Formats: sequence, C-alpha cells, structure tokens
Amino acid sequence: MEDPLHPFELHTIVPLSLFGLDVSINKAVIMMFLVVGLVILLLTKARSSGSLVPTKLQSVAELLVEFIRGMIHDTMGPEGMRFFPLIATLFLFILFCNLLGLIPGTYTVTSQLVVTGVFALGVYALSILVGLKIHGIKFLSILVPSGTPGWLLPLMIPIEIISQLARPVSLSVRLFANMTAGHVILGVLFGLAISGGLLIGWLPFSFTVALYGLELGIAFIQAYIFTILTCVYMGDAFHLH
Amino acid sequence: MPSSQDPLFAGLGQAVRIGTNLLATLMVGGGLGWSIDSYLLPTEPWGLVGGLILGLIAGIRNAYRTAQRMP
Repeated sequence: MEDPLHPFELHTIVPLSLFGLDVSINKAVIMMFLVVGLVILLLTKARSSGSLVPTKLQSVAELLVEFIRGMIHDTMGPEGMRFFPLIATLFLFILFCNLLGLIPGTYTVTSQLVVTGVFALGVYALSILVGLKIHGIKFLSILVPSGTPGWLLPLMIPIEIISQLARPVSLSVRLFANMTAGHVILGVLFGLAISGGLLIGWLPFSFTVALYGLELGIAFIQAYIFTILTCVYMGDAFHLH
Repeated sequence: MPSSQDPLFAGLGQAVRIGTNLLATLMVGGGLGWSIDSYLLPTEPWGLVGGLILGLIAGIRNAYRTAQRMP
C-alpha cells in the first residue's frame, strides 16, 4: 500500500521564477485557479438573469448571500457589512476548495498549512489593524479582561497575550488538520477495500461511502467555522468588551 | 442551506472550536517559553515549564468562556 500522505505531495508542473521567487505552477495552483474561475462563473451566471422570480442558480446564490449576511449581522452587527466582500470571498473560496477537493483526482488546496496559515494570519492582522484604527491605543485593553482585580494583572496579561496569539494558530491548524485527516482516512479505507478483494473488501468500501458523506458535511462546516471566527475576531475589534 | 441561526449548526460550530483552541494555546505558550529559554534568558527549563502552564490556563479559560457564551 502506498504512503497515505503521498497524495498531499506537490510536484512542479511549470517551473516559473519571478524576481528570484519560486512561483512555479503545481497542482495546488491549478486547483486555486479552477476554484476562483468556477466561483466567478457561477455567481456571474446567477446574477445575469436578475429576474424577480429567481432561477434555480439565482436562488442558490441568494441563499448563500443571505447566509453570509446572517453570520455578519449576528457577530459584528450592521456596521460589519463593510467587510461583506472579504468575508464572502473567504467563505466561498474555502468552501469550494473543500468541496472540489473531494472529487477523486483533484487536489485539496486547504490541506496545505501554508494556504490556511496565510489566510489566518491575514485575517488576524486585519482585525488588529481595524481595532487600532477605530479605538487607537485604547484597543490594548483587550489584553485586560473586564473586572480583573489589580493584583491579578501580572498573571492575566501574559495569559491574554497567549490566547490572542493562539487565535491565528488555531484558525489555521483546525482547517488544515480537518481536511488532511479526512482525506487520509478516506485514502486508507479505500486502499483496504482494494487490497481486500471482493470477499471482505465491501466492508471498508461501505465505510468509505459513509465517510465520504461525512466529509461533505465537514467541508461545509469547516468553511463555516473559519468564516464565523473571522467575523468574531473582527467583531472583537469593533466592540471592546 | 441551513440558516446561521440554526441551533444545531451554531452549536456544532462552537463545539468544534474548543478542542483546537486548547491545543493552540498550549502550543503558543510552550513555544513562547521555549524561545525565551533558548534566545533571551539563561533560565533553561523554567521558561518552557511556565509557558506551558500559562498556555494551559489560557486554553481552559477560553474553553470556559466559549461554554459560558453558549445559550
């Protein structure tokens, strides 16, 4: 049986170099282009009809927009709608990466820690910048939970610094670990099904089918969690305590 | 497509957060303590120990706060 982590290896297809940086095209890059193209194509097609009685595609797009709008309103309030384009882009990109990666033969972009790490760091840095812009130096009071007695401050401030720094780490590791683990399990079970033959192979194969359904749910829930946590961190920057 | 207010969906979202958050605070606390040990101060094992303890406290505190916010 082959190494279960083998499908996650990336090999250069078109070597490219830009200003000394390695920007070669590999499977992950092609998948990202595909995802972006698909999202743009579907949404422009959904928008193009623009009729009062929505077509099938249009009502799916309207549901999506309502869903993202609901998330933003719940966590940031109406003033958070300024960030709607960012949140919607993140959600759609991660969702489509997760879902398209489940098609056999394609590549799951979100199973690379580099991709999720850059997203998480960017979102976290943006939330800090927004907080500093709105509240100025008073924003540092997120490091002091309300109602802390003075003698606890030397303990609470390091704890709060750690839990702030853990935000991008947990955000990126969660998405990356969930996608990688799910695909490894699917791969191992399917390998068992093939090596088991007809006599016993149907047992792991039926597990593969069941887990595939679970993975579809996980693909959606992980995209949702990444986006709602982005909204929560942005909301923390808007409203101090 | 469920609404973002759907109790099952929102609850699932909150539950999944706690585990990874515990791990992440532990990693960050240990990492900070370890880097203080090896680059800043000659306090060989104690920075790592203190960092891990602080990380554990922060993780449990976060889990507690997340659980408190649940309806």
